[in-house]
Amino acid sequence: MRSTRPVVCALALSLGLVLSPITVQAALPLAVDGQALPSLAPIVAQASPGVVNISVSGKKVTRQAIPEPFRFFFGPNMPNEQVQERPFQALGSGVIVDADKGYVITNHHVIDEADDIMVTLKDGREFKAKLVGDDSQSDIALLQIDGKDLTAIPLANSDALQVGDFAIAIGNPFGLGQTVTSGIISALGRSGLNIENLENFIQTDAAINSGNSGGALLNLKGELIGINTAILGPNGGNIGIGFAIPANMVKNLMEQLVKYGEVRRAILGISGGELTSDLAKTFGYDKQKGAFVNQVMPGSAAEEAGIEAGDIIVSLDGNPVGSFGELRAKIATMGAGKQVKLGLIRDGKERTVTVTLKQADLTEAKASVLHSALDGATLTDSEPGSKPAGVLVKEVAENSPAAAAGLRKGDLILGVNRVRTENLDDLRKALKGKHKLLAINIKRDNSSLYLVLR
Amino acid sequence: MKLTSLLSYFVKAILLGAAVAGLLLLAFPKLRYQSGDYGSEILNSPPISYAAAVRLAGPAVVNIYTRSFQRSLRDGNDTELRPKSLGSGVIMTAKGQILTNYHVIADADQIIVALQDGRILTADLVGVDVPTDLAVLSISADNLPVIPQDQKRTPEVGDVVLAIGNPYNVGQTITQGIISATGRNGLSSMGPDSNGRQDLLQTDAAINSGNSGGALVNTRGELVGINTAAYHLSSNQESYGISFAIPYRLARRIMTELIANGRVSRGYVGVSTVEVDPVTARLLNLGDLSGLVVENLDPNGPGAKAGLARGDVLLMIDDQPLQGVRSVMDRIAESKPGQVVRFTVLREGKRQEIPVTIEEDLRFQHLRQKGSEGESPASAAEKS
Repeated sequence: MRSTRPVVCALALSLGLVLSPITVQAALPLAVDGQALPSLAPIVAQASPGVVNISVSGKKVTRQAIPEPFRFFFGPNMPNEQVQERPFQALGSGVIVDADKGYVITNHHVIDEADDIMVTLKDGREFKAKLVGDDSQSDIALLQIDGKDLTAIPLANSDALQVGDFAIAIGNPFGLGQTVTSGIISALGRSGLNIENLENFIQTDAAINSGNSGGALLNLKGELIGINTAILGPNGGNIGIGFAIPANMVKNLMEQLVKYGEVRRAILGISGGELTSDLAKTFGYDKQKGAFVNQVMPGSAAEEAGIEAGDIIVSLDGNPVGSFGELRAKIATMGAGKQVKLGLIRDGKERTVTVTLKQADLTEAKASVLHSALDGATLTDSEPGSKPAGVLVKEVAENSPAAAAGLRKGDLILGVNRVRTENLDDLRKALKGKHKLLAINIKRDNSSLYLVLR
Repeated sequence: MKLTSLLSYFVKAILLGAAVAGLLLLAFPKLRYQSGDYGSEILNSPPISYAAAVRLAGPAVVNIYTRSFQRSLRDGNDTELRPKSLGSGVIMTAKGQILTNYHVIADADQIIVALQDGRILTADLVGVDVPTDLAVLSISADNLPVIPQDQKRTPEVGDVVLAIGNPYNVGQTITQGIISATGRNGLSSMGPDSNGRQDLLQTDAAINSGNSGGALVNTRGELVGINTAAYHLSSNQESYGISFAIPYRLARRIMTELIANGRVSRGYVGVSTVEVDPVTARLLNLGDLSGLVVENLDPNGPGAKAGLARGDVLLMIDDQPLQGVRSVMDRIAESKPGQVVRFTVLREGKRQEIPVTIEEDLRFQHLRQKGSEGESPASAAEKS
């Protein structure tokens, strides 16, 4: 009897020693109970060196066509437009995603038209950054800096997020310097906002303001879940509605930018729209989340995989598809050649198809995407087999920069800066990243001439 | 002798206990990480999230769109149904009764409710209560998600809350904050004599145009209040961090009345009073009682009819001492019209009892009338 008592005591004591911290920890973080207040400081300390300030400078070119009366006074030799170059500076944020190679992700709109991109680390070091590649449609750009001992932020799987999860935004709002704000995830898969061409945003109530663009949205593990990009605010400031590009989309785009220096836009080859409750009922589906397929293009990846008009696409690689806009943004940023599994509803039954995404061929383009001086022109590849092969100017809007530069409907663009361009793809590559003087070689009515664009 | 044996007993137990603890920690290294500082705990644990509360409450919050007959754009003489305003609502019962803000559905000729599962239904108006800015709608559908409610839980300042709604029609949005002030649940709340927004629950969760009528829930997903963006929108100030909601208990009470009677009737006496200051109280020899001095009387009100006069000091109602202006206002508002209430008053140093027959408060009737006529599209558009 007496000898067993110390053993019992010892067991109780040892259990107490081992388990005591657990009972205390279980109360965190909402109830505090005399313990240290919950703080995000450890996560911030770990991740904040991975968020950088970006400052850019460049020259914005503004053009003004000179009205006819002036030409009358000053004679035909007067230039038909006035070109003004106004220097500009802008601020933003960025996230180091690869410490060894010095890759920094930011928004395309932060570095758009910049000549110089400077990246400032949290520890004060400053680097001149090189633009690896960018994608205006999804608003992502990849920079590279040549620095040692960088801290990268690991990318989280943004498909695993849930509405209600905590989120931490780190960036450089209003150029104040690095600022950390917190909130929750307000919604996922947000599209149809008309902020970007391709939208699949994470929505958050963490305060995001001008200058936060390109900065990090983190989870409580300090992993990157999104790149802060835009806000909805009637007076320009934050009202608790901010949008971030999800990490998985960033990951896909980054892979392509690293590999090709540009985004190889993938295409499924369907047209369609949002699934309304009436459509869902008609097609024997009891939920209203998904993308409705109106039409399948002949010869497209979708046709090869056996997708039919009337199908409802409800999942992509096992993740639910909320809307057509979300599906479109996800597919377009995946990269051509990727294999994806699509979950379909057909005749009320679910089935899965595997699709190998094809590359979107740029057969017709709004020329402003290629170069700001070509704004107003609609370009297309010349008829197959016609000689010489080039890019046909299908349309030129009146009073547009393209018209002012002297481009006319029916012109055939053969080259840029003495580089031969046989199609839109060539032209796109030749114009990439060039914002200065351009000489384009065109064929007009059997004569060849050069137009100078700036 | 006894001391040493006692000592050895404790030493043995402690040594053995420490040894076993050490062995346990060696055998289950997981236990060790639990005892680290807060930071490593948060970094190693599964992420903390309000996702569970969102899953419970989110589906029960609906988007509300209203349309009204307006002069046709094509043909000036014709009228057509055109979109009018945007808001949110909360499904309170499985029968399809929905609470929303009055200002969301004011001037509406057609009310459309969009559920989060994609169903779109037209709603009937059950009743409105202008003072509290509440309205009850009803829809008929099966399998309706109902917001979790706990009438016994009292919200406190500092509680974490989530606002659920459809701001600017971007789609269902959850924002997070804490309760900054708890508001009042009495029936005189938000009436013409109340002190306005101080009666409301205040939060720093972002509530914007379109959030009006949506839910404010706690971390269990239980309804705490009905969000209303009307306050800062009517004052035309963009205020981040100061938003308001109608407290759940008051909202529930108004809803029950609206469902039972189609309207909320409030008692009316027609006097306005101020609290007696301590010096006057001493002079009047009131003792423990607190008093209210009648400042103004509605000449046609029940108080004047019953013989109350300016300068009277109210001491008790139905032999119960008064506890401040707010509670007296609630008491009167909650009395039924026709009910006789005994006021004990002090007039010229003498106590006397005056029975007053309560009448119904009709000061909001004209507002309701105006609402149904669809008079002021501009003012309605300003609100969410």
